[in-house]
Amino acid sequence: MNETATETIKDALVEVGVNLVATLPEGNFQPLIEKLEAEPRIKWVPLAREEEGVGICAGAYMGGMTPALLLMNSGFLDSTNALATLNLMAGIPLLLLIGYSGGVSEFLWMHSQVGVATEPVLRALGLMYERAEKLSEVAAQVRECQALATITKRPVAVLLNKECLR
Amino acid sequence: MKRYECLEAMLPFVGEDDLVVTNLGRVRDEWQHLRPSAGNYNVFVLGLCSSVGLGLALALPHRRVIVLDSDGSLLINLPTLTTIADQNPANLVHIMFDNQAYESAGGGRTHTAGRADLAMIARGAGFENAIAAESLEDFRATAQTALAGSELFFIAARVEIGSAPVPSNPYDAMETTYRFMRHLEQLEDKSLLSLAPPEYAIPPHLGWGRH
Repeated sequence: MNETATETIKDALVEVGVNLVATLPEGNFQPLIEKLEAEPRIKWVPLAREEEGVGICAGAYMGGMTPALLLMNSGFLDSTNALATLNLMAGIPLLLLIGYSGGVSEFLWMHSQVGVATEPVLRALGLMYERAEKLSEVAAQVRECQALATITKRPVAVLLNKECLR
Repeated sequence: MKRYECLEAMLPFVGEDDLVVTNLGRVRDEWQHLRPSAGNYNVFVLGLCSSVGLGLALALPHRRVIVLDSDGSLLINLPTLTTIADQNPANLVHIMFDNQAYESAGGGRTHTAGRADLAMIARGAGFENAIAAESLEDFRATAQTALAGSELFFIAARVEIGSAPVPSNPYDAMETTYRFMRHLEQLEDKSLLSLAPPEYAIPPHLGWGRH
């Protein structure tokens, strides 16, 4: 991610009051993760596996924080049981920022099946989502998805791709 | 020793306002029977009670959070030990009852019935205080130390298979969450469950102001 992308997404999170972000290292995300680590208004929680981030964010939400989880779609697919049984069955919102490996703009063969599965699995879980591909639109998409997560008490995803990921 | 005896032994050291996060086994019924409170939170995903406890501990650093975990639950979310130790929250006490079995799921053995030592793994993950308790006296003393102090603690308590004949907790995940958050609203004296839309989401031309 370039400087404009990382700054835009970090600022969008701060603007909607996100104050805890859990992340797992990933090549595209690394500049954004470094920016989140350095942001004093955000508690940065580095993870060892994405699914634990779903739990940490749920606890932080119940304790009054506004969390977000930054993960690739591979980690989203790993976290589906937690999203179904912890968030959806308990009315716990969560802003998911999901990097779209294997989406249109992919250049590595090994991500192809993960990319194919991502949107059908989001829909199978009944999760609303926005595809964010333009930097000029991503701040509004983060704002709208966080608002929807808050009022519906459900996870809502922003699928980051193209200008918003690479 | 029995898990229920351990819960009874630690009960005097648990504060009225302490938050207790349990896994989905019978421990949640036993604890709710011993300490009926909306401040008990049951997690229904195997493994994630420790992660939910960590999130709560980070959000409420002034409040004690106790996690009641199990061997099967911890084994399915082992990364949690490294993440908790990395955050090192001083207000979190992580208690793992090790019955060496997936008792609620048919009774098959866990790896702690063989060579795995979860207290040693916790130490390796970075917990400075990771104690294995083999007897009820050991457990009582360790729980007292952990719950009287202000440092991150991990306690691995070796227990027999079996549960106390207590009533089942009648709350599903949704009701557990709402009860718990309403309880936290009172404890923290702030609104956590509001129906109001975020102000930034209200179209300005509606001129609603604050609802």
